[in-house]
Amino acid sequence: MTTTTLLDVRGVTMRFGGLTAVNQVDLTVGQGEIIGLIGPNGAGKTTFFNCLTGLYVPTEGTVSYRGTILPPKPHLVTRAGIARTFQNIRLFANMTVLENVLVGRHTRTREGLLSAVLRGPGYRRAEAESREKAMELLEFTGLAAKADHLSRNLPYGEQRKLEIARALASDPGLLLLDEPTAGMNPQETRAAEELVFAIRDRGISVLVIEHDMRFIFNLCDRTAVLVQGQKIVEGDRETVQSDERVITAYLGAPFDGTGSTASEAEK
Amino acid sequence: MNELPQQLANGLILGALYGLVAIGYTMVYGIVQLINFAHGEIFMVGGFGALTAYLALPGGTTLWLAVPLMLAAGITVSTLVAVGAERFAYRPLRGAPRLAPLITAIGLSIVLQQLVFSFYPDAKKAKVFPKIPGDAFQVLGMTIQRSDLFLIVAAPVCMIILGWFVNRTRSGRAMQATSQDPDTAKLMGIDTDRIIVLAFAIGAAFAAVAAVAYGLRTGQVDFRMGFILGLKAFTAAVLGGIGNIYGAMVGGLVLGLAEGLATAYIQHLPGMHLFGGGAWKDVWAFVLLIVVLLARPQGLLGERVADRA
Repeated sequence: MTTTTLLDVRGVTMRFGGLTAVNQVDLTVGQGEIIGLIGPNGAGKTTFFNCLTGLYVPTEGTVSYRGTILPPKPHLVTRAGIARTFQNIRLFANMTVLENVLVGRHTRTREGLLSAVLRGPGYRRAEAESREKAMELLEFTGLAAKADHLSRNLPYGEQRKLEIARALASDPGLLLLDEPTAGMNPQETRAAEELVFAIRDRGISVLVIEHDMRFIFNLCDRTAVLVQGQKIVEGDRETVQSDERVITAYLGAPFDGTGSTASEAEK
Repeated sequence: MNELPQQLANGLILGALYGLVAIGYTMVYGIVQLINFAHGEIFMVGGFGALTAYLALPGGTTLWLAVPLMLAAGITVSTLVAVGAERFAYRPLRGAPRLAPLITAIGLSIVLQQLVFSFYPDAKKAKVFPKIPGDAFQVLGMTIQRSDLFLIVAAPVCMIILGWFVNRTRSGRAMQATSQDPDTAKLMGIDTDRIIVLAFAIGAAFAAVAAVAYGLRTGQVDFRMGFILGLKAFTAAVLGGIGNIYGAMVGGLVLGLAEGLATAYIQHLPGMHLFGGGAWKDVWAFVLLIVVLLARPQGLLGERVADRA
């Protein structure tokens, strides 16, 4: 079975002044794949996500989605079909759970200002459809009972779920998850795994940044490792786990007994 | 004191005028954290737009026809000027330090005043604006001028439409999202540049409605009229809690009432006989602002929010 390429990243480089945060990274994500992106803190993973979603304009390189090069404008990237969540939760705190998801639906609804003001049938239908779709996503993520709660009053784990529901509301073909299990306990992490599989079963590809190795290796078809802005290896679990550069990056160089101190694990 | 109902009515009418203009300050601030000091002049050009439409109409046109046309013209002129200002003066400075757009706003305000002063025919002195003729109404001991009826109807209608727009429509939700977190809003597919234009346009349209009301009420428009009224409306926005649209109207009404009541009654307080009357009304307005801000720095309906850097 050949998978069609959804996301095609070529040679993306991001420099901030003299600092190269992301250096010549290539990455592809195929239809229906779950791809992991791991690396030590400060490796440039989130910067890479920001380049993909148009929040940063890459210094070099291109990001294509379904064969078209994406313009570095976040709202156009979303419209093209890429949605994301954030490492530090960024919900609209003063809106209800349902309203957050409705905002996520923005690109997939059309509403003429005039038809809204006149409350024409088109407006009513669009509004009803949006609510129905939003409620379906809240059911999917298990938040339906809390649709009318203010999002800032949700417990942490549910806020993470709401971010995912909001991202799914834009009907993406590719979902980028930035550390979805950060701060979660083991049970919540297992539930998050189930959720990611369920998202894939809806036909949505997933690119996920994580620190939890078990989570990554349970989920991902392939995993890429980013160290100091460079992709040093990409492949399945065995390839990544047996790669010496990965071990060095995570655990430091092995102690060779000659007295020269191995560099400390860079956590 | 049997003139109390009258003073309340005067205060509320004036306050509604402040409130309509204050909406423009508060919406723009809520979205881009900019105090648009040119907003008073957006109000002023709306008045001149309406006047131009009136002068273009054949003499003897009934006001039932003239007022809607004046309103349409005023709204068009104000909105075009505000959207143009956003596009060519403020947008290039997006991301610049905050003082840059603030100074630009002050500059723009002077430019607009001088353009009207220099190029609008005979605008060096106040221009006569039509009034709605006929006797004043007597209601519950209050005398209401016919010209004020326009504002009494327009202000609540505008507020209801705005509240519904912001809370119930897709664009309104996009506007709230942009005001809470612009970057995330972009990633939800919201074209935030468009939302900013929309905020400027709505504020300008409300200012134009206020300008027509002001013209009808005072019987004149003048190129300086945006200055003190803009300052008062800005005060109202801060008083109500800047960034909050209902706060803007509440702040306007409170300010108008305070001015009306202070003008009428302060001089009757013992030892205060020198401080009453219209000449002191601006002083009392700003005293009220200071007192409220001492107790509630976020304004009457404002929420305490961390200042974004």
